[in-house]
Amino acid sequence: MSEPQFESPLSGPASRTDRAKLAVDISEVSDRGMIDLRGELSDRKFAAAAKKVLGIDLPVKPRTSTTHGDLSILWLSVDQWLVCCPRAKIQDVLGELREALTDIHSLAVDLSDARAIIRLQGNGAREILMKGAPVNLLSTEIVAGTVRRLRYGEIAAMVHIVDERPDTIDLYIFRSYAEFAWDWLVETGRRAAAIRLFGQQDPPVV
Amino acid sequence: MTGKPYRLPESAGAGRLTDRAKPVSFTFDGKKMTGFAGDSLASAVMANGQRLLGRSFKYHRPRGLVGLGSEEPNALVGVGEGARHEPNLRATQVELYDGMVAVSQNRWPSLGFDVGAFNNRLSRLFPSGFYYKTFMWPRSFWKTIYEPTIRHAAGLGKAPTGRDPDTYEQLHVHCEVLVIGGGVTGLAAAEAAASTGARVIIADENPRFGGLADIAGGKIDGRPQTDWAALRVQQLAKADNVHVLARTTVAGHFHHNYLLLFERLADHDPQLIADGVPRHRLWKVRANQVVVAAGAIERPIAFANNDRPGVLLASAARGLVERYGVAPGLMGVLFTNNDDAYRTALRLKEAGVGIACIVDVRQQVDGALAEAARAAGFEVMSGHAIAGIETDIGGKAISAVKVAPYSSGQGRVINEEKIECDFVAMSGGWNPAVHLWCHNGGKLKFDDSLQTFVPARHSDAISIAGAANGRMSVGECIAEGYAAGEAAAKAVMSKAKAVRMKPPSTEQEAEKRLEPIWFAPATGKYNEGNKHFIDFQNDVTAADLELAQREGYESVEHTKRYTTLGMATDQGKTSNVNGLGVVSQATGRVIPEIGTTTFRPPYTPISMGSIAGTSVGKLFLPVRKTPVFSWHEAEQANFEPVGEWRRPYCYPKMNEDRQAAVNREIMVVREGVGLLDASTLGKIEIKGPDAAALLDRVYTNTFSTLKIGKGRYGLMMNEMGFLMDDGVTVRLADDHFLMHTTSGGADRIAAWLEEWLQTEWMELRVFVTPVTEQWAQFAVAGPKAREVLQALGGDIDFSADGLSFMSMAEGRVGGYPVRVFRISFSGELSYEIAAPANFGRGLWDSLLKAGEPFGIKAYGTEALHVLRAEKGFIVIGDETDGTVTPLDVGLDWAVSKKKTDYIGKRSLEQSYLKAPNRKQLVGLYTEDPNEVLPDGAYAVEKVTDKPPMKMIGQVTSTYWSPTLKRSIAMALIEDGRNRMGEMLLFPLAGKVVKAQIVDPVFYDKQGARQNV
Amino acid sequence: MLLIRCPVCGVKGEEGDFHAGGQAHVRRPATSDPVNITDEQHRDYLFLRHNPKGLHFERWRCDRGCGKWFHAARDTVTLDFKAYYKIDELPPVELMRQATGYWAEHFAPHLKATKAKKPVAKRNARVRS
Ligand SMILES: [Zn+2]
Repeated sequence: MSEPQFESPLSGPASRTDRAKLAVDISEVSDRGMIDLRGELSDRKFAAAAKKVLGIDLPVKPRTSTTHGDLSILWLSVDQWLVCCPRAKIQDVLGELREALTDIHSLAVDLSDARAIIRLQGNGAREILMKGAPVNLLSTEIVAGTVRRLRYGEIAAMVHIVDERPDTIDLYIFRSYAEFAWDWLVETGRRAAAIRLFGQQDPPVV
Repeated sequence: MTGKPYRLPESAGAGRLTDRAKPVSFTFDGKKMTGFAGDSLASAVMANGQRLLGRSFKYHRPRGLVGLGSEEPNALVGVGEGARHEPNLRATQVELYDGMVAVSQNRWPSLGFDVGAFNNRLSRLFPSGFYYKTFMWPRSFWKTIYEPTIRHAAGLGKAPTGRDPDTYEQLHVHCEVLVIGGGVTGLAAAEAAASTGARVIIADENPRFGGLADIAGGKIDGRPQTDWAALRVQQLAKADNVHVLARTTVAGHFHHNYLLLFERLADHDPQLIADGVPRHRLWKVRANQVVVAAGAIERPIAFANNDRPGVLLASAARGLVERYGVAPGLMGVLFTNNDDAYRTALRLKEAGVGIACIVDVRQQVDGALAEAARAAGFEVMSGHAIAGIETDIGGKAISAVKVAPYSSGQGRVINEEKIECDFVAMSGGWNPAVHLWCHNGGKLKFDDSLQTFVPARHSDAISIAGAANGRMSVGECIAEGYAAGEAAAKAVMSKAKAVRMKPPSTEQEAEKRLEPIWFAPATGKYNEGNKHFIDFQNDVTAADLELAQREGYESVEHTKRYTTLGMATDQGKTSNVNGLGVVSQATGRVIPEIGTTTFRPPYTPISMGSIAGTSVGKLFLPVRKTPVFSWHEAEQANFEPVGEWRRPYCYPKMNEDRQAAVNREIMVVREGVGLLDASTLGKIEIKGPDAAALLDRVYTNTFSTLKIGKGRYGLMMNEMGFLMDDGVTVRLADDHFLMHTTSGGADRIAAWLEEWLQTEWMELRVFVTPVTEQWAQFAVAGPKAREVLQALGGDIDFSADGLSFMSMAEGRVGGYPVRVFRISFSGELSYEIAAPANFGRGLWDSLLKAGEPFGIKAYGTEALHVLRAEKGFIVIGDETDGTVTPLDVGLDWAVSKKKTDYIGKRSLEQSYLKAPNRKQLVGLYTEDPNEVLPDGAYAVEKVTDKPPMKMIGQVTSTYWSPTLKRSIAMALIEDGRNRMGEMLLFPLAGKVVKAQIVDPVFYDKQGARQNV
Repeated sequence: MLLIRCPVCGVKGEEGDFHAGGQAHVRRPATSDPVNITDEQHRDYLFLRHNPKGLHFERWRCDRGCGKWFHAARDTVTLDFKAYYKIDELPPVELMRQATGYWAEHFAPHLKATKAKKPVAKRNARVRS
C-alpha cells in the first residue's frame, strides 16, 4: 500500500499555460478544503454550534464572507455556507462540526474536491471576468470579502473578492468544468485583448 | 468617366481628415489605387476617378455613393481576402489602410459589365410581389430551376472561405447612463450626466466624434463646432467615470434597457489583428438610463432615375469635400426643398467645385442661406424640380439633368430645360434617426414643419435629444443634450448634485420651412425607362409602392412586405419616410394616418464573429471531464457526449474496430473483471428528520423502511405518471441518505427535490446537497471483482457476507478513503467504489495495477449498455421517452400500492395509463440471429405494398450480444406482454426483418451471477 | 432580456440567471387530500394555466443566487415587474385588487379575509391559495 496519489483538477492545464501572454496572473488554488454547511438560522442552536467550532459567526448578509485566521466562511444562501480551511485540517473541522451539530437539523459535507479554484491577481481581473459573466463586477457594492455566485462562460461559478487594489479574486467552478473555465480565462485574459473600463482613455479624434 | 481628378488640390482647404503626407495603396476590384491616411474606402475610390461602387440587388443597376456614413444603401463592399473576407460593409464606413483588398458586390462577372443587369431591361416583368407571383408553377421547377437561379442571382456579397482566423469577444457592462451618439448633443448629454459622478458610456459608430459638427455650419462660442466637440471628448476620456467608445455601433435596444454595442477594434488596422487584438467586441450593456443622440439622416428625393452614380445626398457631397478633399464630380446641380442644402453649394464653391445651379422646389426662396448663395453668384431656380437625367450608355455616368417648373401636386412636366452636369446633390430634408428609440416600442408622431416622424413617448427609462428628436440647430441640440444628460443622471443618482451646465453661445443661420416633395414628375410616363427609386438597397420604386396600393396592400405593414420597402440591411434609413410619402400621395391619406413601420435591430449589421464571441473551437460548449479523463485520452478512447460530459464509448486496441472493442470489453466483464469510470453518475446527499418522508413522496417505492447501510433501486415519475429518473439510494443514517441519479439527471433531480421542498412541502425539514463532483466513482465488475479489491488491501470486508448485495461500506482501499456500494448494472458480481475526486486518478491507477494479474481492462459506455440490455435493465431515455410509465416497462413491483401519496400516483389511476393496448416492454429475438435491428425500427403485424401500415411499437434498444452470440433487442409493443412468442415484422428499407417477442431478460434470469 | 430581483437574497440579475417556473399559486390537490381527487381537479392541476394580457403572477427561482423559489407579479404587456414576494406569500393587496379575470376570482376570498383584518400571509406558514 503506497501513499494515495493526489491530483488537483488543473495541474495539467496550468502547467501548459504561457502566463506571460496574460494581462493578469492566474493560478490554481489546490490546498483549500471546503465544507458545504446547511442549517436554519431560525434555529439559534445551529448558529451557536457553528460559531463554537469555527470561531466566527456565519455571515448572514447575502454575498458576504467572514474570515478568522486560516478559516473563512462564504455565504452561499440563506441556509448554506462554504467553510474554507487548509485542506490538511478539513477532516478535523468537519468532525468537530458534525459533533457539535448532532441533533441539530443541519448537513455538513466535505466538498473539498467538488470545486476547482482559480485565483486571478492584478488590475483588470474584473473586466476579464466580465467577458464571461453578466454581472456588474465593477459595482461599488462588490468589495473585498464579497462573494457572488454567477454564470461564467455558461457554467455555474462563484467569485470571492479576496483583496482589492490590485484585485485578488478567487473563481470557484465545479471540478468537471475546471479545464473549460481555465481555457476561457486564458483566452479572454490575453494581454492583446485587455480592457479597463471607466478611466483614463485616449480621446478619439473629432 | 474614370481617371478624372476628383481629389481637390491641397490649396482648396478641404479634406480635414486626410493626411496628404501619408499615401496609402489598395485595390478595388483588383485595380490598384492610391488614397491617403484618413480616407474612407468610398472617398479613396472616388478620388481615383471611379464613381461606380456597386450594383443594385434586384436590377443590378450601376450604383454610386449616396450617403456619408452608416445610411449608405448602395456602396456595399467586401473587404479582405479568403477567410478574412467580410462582405456587406458600407464603403463610407470602411477606414482605408495600406494594402486593403476590397471588392464591389452584386455584379458578375465585373462591375462595369454585369450580366444580371439584364434584369433591368426585363424590369417590367419584375413588379413588386414578383417572387410571389411568378415562381408558382410548375411545382417541380422550384427545386431544379427557380431556386438555384434565384440563389445565384440573389444574396448580398460572398461568404468568406475557410475558418475565421481572428478572435472576437463579448463584454458585460453596467452603467448608469448610456449616451448613443457622439455628436454635439451626445457630448453635451454625457458631460452633464458625468458631472454628477454617474458612470457614463458614450458610443459613436464612427472613428471620430463630433457627428456632423464639421459640416453643420454655425459656431459655438464664436469658434468652429469641432473645437467645442474636441474639448468635450478630451475631458470625457480623462474622467474616471466615463467610457468613450469610438467605432462602436449601438445595434439594438431591448427590454429593461439591455443594449448591444458592436465595437470594431481592429478592422481599420491589420497590425492590430496581427498583434492578436480582437477584431470585434460585442458589449452587452445594462444601462439605468439611455439617452439617444443619434442625429439625423438626410433624405433623398424621388426623381426619375435618381439612382444613377453621381446622384448623392447634399450632406454626402459636403462631407466628401470637407473631410476627404474629394469632389463628387466636376460640375453639379443641387436639388433641394430646404435651406440646409445651400450649405453644400457654399462649401463646394469655397473648395472650387462647380455647381451649375440650385434647383429648389419651393416657389419662394428667401432664407438667409439662399440669400448668401445668391450673393455668392449661384443661380437659384425656385419652383423647379429635376424631371430626368441623361446618362452615357449603360447609365454609369450623368451628362445632364432635365429641369422643369414644378408646383406641389403637379402631375406632368412641361417646358423642361437641360443643364449639363456630372453630379446631383439632393436634399429632401432630414429624418431624425429614431431607429434605436423604436426598437423596444418607442412611439412616434408626425412633425409638420419637418415633414417627418419625431419621437413621442417611450415606456422605458430612455430619452432622446438633439437632431434625433427633431432639433435641427446647434443651440437647441446642446441645450437639449445637457438637459437630457442631467435628467438621466438625476433619475439614477439619488444624491447627485445637479451641476447645471451652462449652454455656450451659438450662432447659426436661421432656416426657413421646407416643402415636402415625395415625387418629382418625369418626362413621359415615369414607369417607361424612368425609375423613381425610394429604397435603393432593395430596388423599390415609387411605381412599386403605387402598384401595391392598387393591389390592395394598403396597410403600411403589408406594403412593406409586398414591396420589401425598408427591409434591407439598412433598415430603411433613407427610404422609409419617402415611401410613406408616396403611399400618402397614392392613397390620398395623410402620412400620420398611414403610420410608420417597425424599426428592427440591428441598427447596422453586426458580425457573426461577435455573436459567437469567445464561444468557438474548444470553448464552443462547456465540456465536463471526469478525474480520469486524461487517462481515457491517453488510451485513445472513443468518446461520446452524455449531456455536457465526454465519456469513453470504448477503448479500441490496435486494428480493432468499435464493434470488436465493445465485444471484447463485454466478455472481459462476463469472464474476468472490467473497470468503468462511472464518475458522472449523479449523487445527492439528503438529510433531515423528514428525509425518509421526502424520498417516499418522490420515489414510486418505499424508502422509509430501508435499513442503514443498505441501498434500494428507486423509480421517479413526474406528476403525469411518466418515468423521469432511476437509481440506487443508500441509507447512511436514520436521517441521512445518498441518492444516485442518472448521469444526465444529476442537476435536474437536485433541482426537482429543492422545488418540492421549497414550494409544496414546506413543512418537511430536509437539506439536499448535490455531491456529484466530489466523488470519482468506478464500477469494478465481473467474476473476479472481489479478488481485485481484496488484492488492493484495506479495512473493508469484501466477502459475500461481509458486504452483501445492495450494501455499502466506508473505509480505506489501497490507502484511499472510499465508499463502496455492492450494486450491479451488468448482472455480474460488481462493486462501485467512490473516492474523493482528487484521489480518483490515483485509485484508478491502483485498481488497474491490482487487477493486472486478473486481466482487468477498462470498458466503456457501449459495453455498459449491452451488459445491462442482456439483463433486461431499462435506461431512462432509451426505454423511456417521457410518455412511458413504470407499468409499461414492467416495473410494477417498484410501484407502491400502500403509500397514500407520491408524485405521479394520481395520474397512474387515469384510464388511459391503464389501458390494455398500451405499449409494453418486451424482448426481441430476430429470426436471423445475425441480424441486428436498427434503433427505433417500427413493428407491424402485417406488411402491405406501400405505406401506411399500422405500427404497433418500436425498438428501444438493440445490440449484438457477444455473451449470447446473437442479436438482442428491447421494444415497446402494444399489449406486448400478452404477445409472448408472436412473430413481428419490421419493414426496413429494401427488406422486412422478422423477430419474435421474448422475455426482456435475456441472460441469467435468476440473477445468480451477481449473488456470489 | 428581463432584469429580475430576488426578494430572498436581494440579488438583481439577468433573466438567464433565473429559472421561470410558470404560473404562481397552483394548488396540488394531493398534498391536502390524496384520496379524493376528481378527474377535473387533476386535469386543472396538471394542465390548466392562464395566460392573461396584463397583470400576471408567476414563480421564479434565483438560480445563480440563493437558489430559492419566489413569486413575482409581472405585466405581460410592458414586461415590468410590479412586485416580488416570497414563495409562501400572497401578492401585495393592491395588486390583488388590480387583478382581473382568473386572478380576480382567485384572489377574491383572500381580499375578503384582508378586509376582515385577518393576516393575508404569514411567514413560514403555508399559503393555501
Ligand atoms: Zn436569491
